[in-house]
Amino acid sequence: MASIISATNLTLAYEKGKHIIINDVTFNIEQGEFVFITGPSGSGKSTLLKSLYGQIKPREGMLNVGGFDMSRIKKKQLLQLRRNIGIVFQDYKLINEWTVEKNVVLPLIITGYSLDVQKVQAEKLLSHVKLSDQANKYPLELSGGEQQRVGVARALSKNPFLILADEPTGNLDEFSSGVVWDLLENACDQLNATVVVVTHKIPTIFNIPYRHFIIENGGVHEVH
Amino acid sequence: MKSIKDHLMFILPLMAMLIGIEFILVFNRITSSYENKLKNEYAILVVSQKNLTTPYLRSIDDNIDSVEAMNREDIAKEVTSGMQDAALAAIMKDLPYFYRVHLTSYMSLEGLKKISAELKKVNGILNVEIFGENYHSKHTIFRLVKMLLNIFIVMLFIVSIMLVIKQMQVWQLAHKDRMKIMEIFGAPMMLRSGILFKVAIIDAIIATILNMVIFLFIKSKWSQNSDIDFVKNNQDMLFNVSDFFILFVTAIVIVAISVFVVAINTREVPEG
Repeated sequence: MASIISATNLTLAYEKGKHIIINDVTFNIEQGEFVFITGPSGSGKSTLLKSLYGQIKPREGMLNVGGFDMSRIKKKQLLQLRRNIGIVFQDYKLINEWTVEKNVVLPLIITGYSLDVQKVQAEKLLSHVKLSDQANKYPLELSGGEQQRVGVARALSKNPFLILADEPTGNLDEFSSGVVWDLLENACDQLNATVVVVTHKIPTIFNIPYRHFIIENGGVHEVH
Repeated sequence: MKSIKDHLMFILPLMAMLIGIEFILVFNRITSSYENKLKNEYAILVVSQKNLTTPYLRSIDDNIDSVEAMNREDIAKEVTSGMQDAALAAIMKDLPYFYRVHLTSYMSLEGLKKISAELKKVNGILNVEIFGENYHSKHTIFRLVKMLLNIFIVMLFIVSIMLVIKQMQVWQLAHKDRMKIMEIFGAPMMLRSGILFKVAIIDAIIATILNMVIFLFIKSKWSQNSDIDFVKNNQDMLFNVSDFFILFVTAIVIVAISVFVVAINTREVPEG
């Protein structure tokens, strides 16, 4: 299997290296794998995730995502990479002035897909996340669980090769959490996307094989 | 309601800036026309024993535009009014030549004195009269009015720029989240700022049209009823078709700079 994420002696830090978060870690994630990253609060889970979509640059070592060296990646290349990554945030990060439907197809708008394609894809995804009747509403008119389902639908809209999710069920009730996990499982199982999820708690019922990394004291350890 | 307020907050300062620019255009046209009028009405009086020509005086000072000979007979008649013809003939024999010397531009008093000094050095020129006092007072008033209007335009510009900066901050707040989210999903800067640019272009068009309407009203209505003769006589100078294009291009440039600054300020800077 092709390696989608490859970290070698990776160090991540804030404030120009003064505050080291992840220290000298090495790991590999292959295409189609589902990975959970857990760890105590402030351990650097979200920081590691941010480095995977280029919001934080490696301080030392090597980090390769989808064939791009994240230490040397140029702005244009980074935007190109991000167009093929689906990201889900704990705080949803939806555009409140846009309708649910438009939010879902944001990655398609960015890539320049036609309105017809956007419409078809929005209908399909909103039906998957059980929000077909909410297409013309605005995010602030929805509950937290519904907003997160919109966020997941957006992340899936362009069939990304990599899905990154930061505490995707952190604020959700049981029903919405179940829908979100099902969607992420399906993306991995049926679309062969690599899924990396940062979470406090791995769901008790999970139907596909997964890997589990724990971040502690700046190190990343895999649980076997 | 909020949307109208948002638009007005950019349209009004933009209009103030465009009014300032239109003032500059109108004022430049009016002052250069007035300056031309003053220049054409003014002439240095030169009394000379010999005949003077324009090329000859131009070779002495290139600020000299033309030389106009005054009718010696008329002058002599005026002097010999009521005397016998013999007296007229005698005076004509000794009467020097009188010239009006016109200048290329509306000069300062110092400039006039310099020309006067150069002319006085010419062999055969008996006297040079620049009517300095009268000229100086007109010139000073003209320069003062010009300076006051320039100060007014500069002040208008400063206030407008401050208002535009304020609006840029409002835009930044209003569009920051959307632009950041779009960047996370890989949108290039042009696409991220595209929505803001569209809004701003509409504001620019509205501001330009409103400005045009105001100046066309001044041109067609206010100037006709104006007590100021100069404004009445120079109605055409108040708004030209070309002004619309100048104002529109200026508005677009201001909009482009404003949107670009907002886009730059909201872009992501990778940490680490």
